[in-house]
Amino acid sequence: MDLKVEQLSKRFGAFYALRDVSLEVPTGKIVLLIGPNGSGKSTLINCVSGVYKPDGGTVWLDGIDLEKKKPHEILRLGMGRSFQIPSPFKALTVAENLLVCGQNHPGEGLFTSMLEKRWRRREDELIRKMLGILRAVDLQDKADTLAGELSGGQLKLLEIGRLLMLDAKLMLLDEPIGGVNPVLAHKILSQIQNIRDDFKVGFLTVEHRLDIILRYVDYVYALSQGKMIFQGPPNEVVNSKEVYDVYLGGHGS
Amino acid sequence: MVEIGLAFNLLLEGIVFFGIYVIFTLSLNFQYGYTGIFNLGLYLPILAGALVVGYLPGRLAMMIYGVKGLDYVTDNSSIMVLLKGRLQNDPLTSIGILIVTLIVAFTVCWLLGYVTGYPALKLPADYMALFMLCLAESLRIIGMQTMEIAGGPFGITTLNPFWWLGSLAYFGLMALIIGFTAMICLVYYVICRSPFGRLMKSIRENGLTAECVGKDVASIKRKVMALSFGVLGIGGVMHGLNLGVVIAYGYTRVDFSYWPWLMLVVGGSGNNLGVFLGTLALVLMRQIMINGKPIFQPFLPFDMLWLEPLLLAIMLMVTLVLRPQGIVPEKPSHVKAPNSEGGNLQSQKQPA
Amino acid sequence: MIIPSAVILSMVISSFLLSLLAMGFTLQYITMSVPNLAYGTMAFFSAYITVTVVVLGYSPYVAVPFAFVLGSIASFLLYKFIAFLRDRGMPVIGLMLSTLVFDLAIYALMNIYAELIPHYLHAYIGAFNLMESDFEIAGIPGILIVSAATTSMLVLLFQLILTKTKFGIAMRAVMESHSLAIVHGVNTELVLSVSWFFVGGIAGISGSLYPIWFYVDPWAGATMFISIFAACVVGGLRSIYGSLLGGFLIAVSQNLISFTLASVFGPALWAYSSIWSILIAALVVLKMPEGISGFITSRK
Repeated sequence: MDLKVEQLSKRFGAFYALRDVSLEVPTGKIVLLIGPNGSGKSTLINCVSGVYKPDGGTVWLDGIDLEKKKPHEILRLGMGRSFQIPSPFKALTVAENLLVCGQNHPGEGLFTSMLEKRWRRREDELIRKMLGILRAVDLQDKADTLAGELSGGQLKLLEIGRLLMLDAKLMLLDEPIGGVNPVLAHKILSQIQNIRDDFKVGFLTVEHRLDIILRYVDYVYALSQGKMIFQGPPNEVVNSKEVYDVYLGGHGS
Repeated sequence: MVEIGLAFNLLLEGIVFFGIYVIFTLSLNFQYGYTGIFNLGLYLPILAGALVVGYLPGRLAMMIYGVKGLDYVTDNSSIMVLLKGRLQNDPLTSIGILIVTLIVAFTVCWLLGYVTGYPALKLPADYMALFMLCLAESLRIIGMQTMEIAGGPFGITTLNPFWWLGSLAYFGLMALIIGFTAMICLVYYVICRSPFGRLMKSIRENGLTAECVGKDVASIKRKVMALSFGVLGIGGVMHGLNLGVVIAYGYTRVDFSYWPWLMLVVGGSGNNLGVFLGTLALVLMRQIMINGKPIFQPFLPFDMLWLEPLLLAIMLMVTLVLRPQGIVPEKPSHVKAPNSEGGNLQSQKQPA
Repeated sequence: MIIPSAVILSMVISSFLLSLLAMGFTLQYITMSVPNLAYGTMAFFSAYITVTVVVLGYSPYVAVPFAFVLGSIASFLLYKFIAFLRDRGMPVIGLMLSTLVFDLAIYALMNIYAELIPHYLHAYIGAFNLMESDFEIAGIPGILIVSAATTSMLVLLFQLILTKTKFGIAMRAVMESHSLAIVHGVNTELVLSVSWFFVGGIAGISGSLYPIWFYVDPWAGATMFISIFAACVVGGLRSIYGSLLGGFLIAVSQNLISFTLASVFGPALWAYSSIWSILIAALVVLKMPEGISGFITSRK
């Protein structure tokens, strides 16, 4: 599954958050999107995932035009996303947070939910999958904890866990390691690489922490003030004058 | 002996009243406690159900027995006498009419819930609540003004589907209402315990995230509204049957929206046990007021009934200030691990 | 189609009163982010003051200052209650339920009062209309002049205050962002208390003027609430001037539709007036969820 963004524009009133931005996420590649605060990265993710309606340009997912598609339709097509500020379902347990991400569940139909026989098998399937994912992200002790009681780092892991449940073929990650200690960050990023290698899943990830993430990605795009100012392999980013100028005093790499 | 009989009657009335209001509050809990749909116009489907039971059964019976030449509304009392005479000896027709009425009420209210969901869910939550209130009040105006539906301002009497039981007719009705209450409790319990329950809660917690994990939030909310409206419609039918009359005027926002809301808030939203307790508490209060009326009324220059909303206001105020989460706060539900794996989950499943 | 003067008068008078009421409701909503459920009851409680005054033999307009006082006190108390709960971290839905407390209390008190009037003043009050106690100038009903003057003056005053006074600027800051206003040193408590005080008073005045032309019964508050709400929705939820426009639109269309239907189906159709307003609001919401003002802003 590949993603193609062509000449995307988004404005809020008279202010252009994005202007004619184009990028591509080929199948099974990890693509990084960087840029200083306010450059439009989150806006881009929101436009691509159907949360915002773009004012210009097109988004293609495996050749399908995503115009007018609502977020849940986009997920059904195979593209999922995480949130910069973790948004768990606070009144649900960690286990339920994952289970609710299961797709095609007869238990989630209004009438079929009344007949346990119809959904028990799928539910058990999902529970098994959920337990595996909890082990993978090291949250197995927190299965019955309310998501509202997790720490910041644990919430990030939960976000990753939810994405794993979604069976998405392409994932948009908005600062997956933001505010997370380096050990955990590397763990999360290795996970992401494993998913890419094992399942050919593509990623478009927004991140600031170049020192940690550069070694995990296949390609880099850089935004500044709504415009694309650089694209290339990770080793070229470090030497790019445009990126350096824009990041004045930003990151010590 | 008379006192015991009176007390027994009051107890029965209280139980029936409790049952009917449990139907209302469980439906409200389904909408708001679980899914976060803030609806202040709860009496829209309740009134619709009552109007159906005011309109339909009598006319059906007239059609079946070939009664002609009389206007159902203006000649209502004579028609009722006629119909009672026939239905007393015809259990099959009585029950048949009842079943048809229930199906029609459920379907009409189901559609009502589904259709109003379209504009209503486009509004922000607080405005949606008011929008539903306005729709409900509008139906009340229609009911009060339109003679043909249920007697307009004068109301209309309803058929008792158990006249064929003779003197036990009221017990038959009671059994029906309690039976339906139990059935509805079961239905809601089963749904809330299923994956649909956590789906509803996820929408309540964060609609956008739910949308992004593939749930068609608007559609699910409409389904929730449709089902709960259908059930509320049945509650309305039960209420109309129990009272023996349908007067649209009596279906006020206070008695059929604010009351259930108060029961929900006092009991604790998001869980059905809380709903039971809250409903019980307020039903007890009302029964006390009704019993106390003959004693205190002579001392008051106005109808004592008006003290009820004042009491409600005070109760609501106290609850909001002292214990906003209600008597029974929501408890997390636990997932049962499948039998083939021990898992690290507690294997005890707690009802929501 | 020739529209009788009585209908035109109804349209105009209700436009003035409804837009005033709608503006007040929106102002309360913008300042506290809580729609005031008790608003209809609060406004129309004053109708009973008017009728009391008339029963006692005075001109109905004598009720206006009393209506202002009662309405403003009720509104001020409600503000204090909401602010108290909000400061304890209650979410918006809880705050809305708190307005319900006032709706219930005023509803009860109003009905109790309505029963006391016959008891103590020996006059029966069910549905009443005080048209006959109104004055006339050159054939023009006094209520038309008073409602038009009141609304125009208050709107102008409001605009002046908002743009030319320090208080008005503070109020705009609070409406824009409560927390930001606090940071900028605005005494938000004072601004909100005063705003709600006056909105309540004005709502009381509107309610007290209403029975001078229209029929009022104990349900007038609930019935009018439908039209007030519809006016706010049509105008735009967060726009005060939108509500002004919405009030006029709803009042006019409500009356026109009722008149048209009544001409065809008979005068009984007038009783269904408020229903048209909510239907119009529902249709508007389907196409323009942000109301007319939102539609205009998005086009810029």
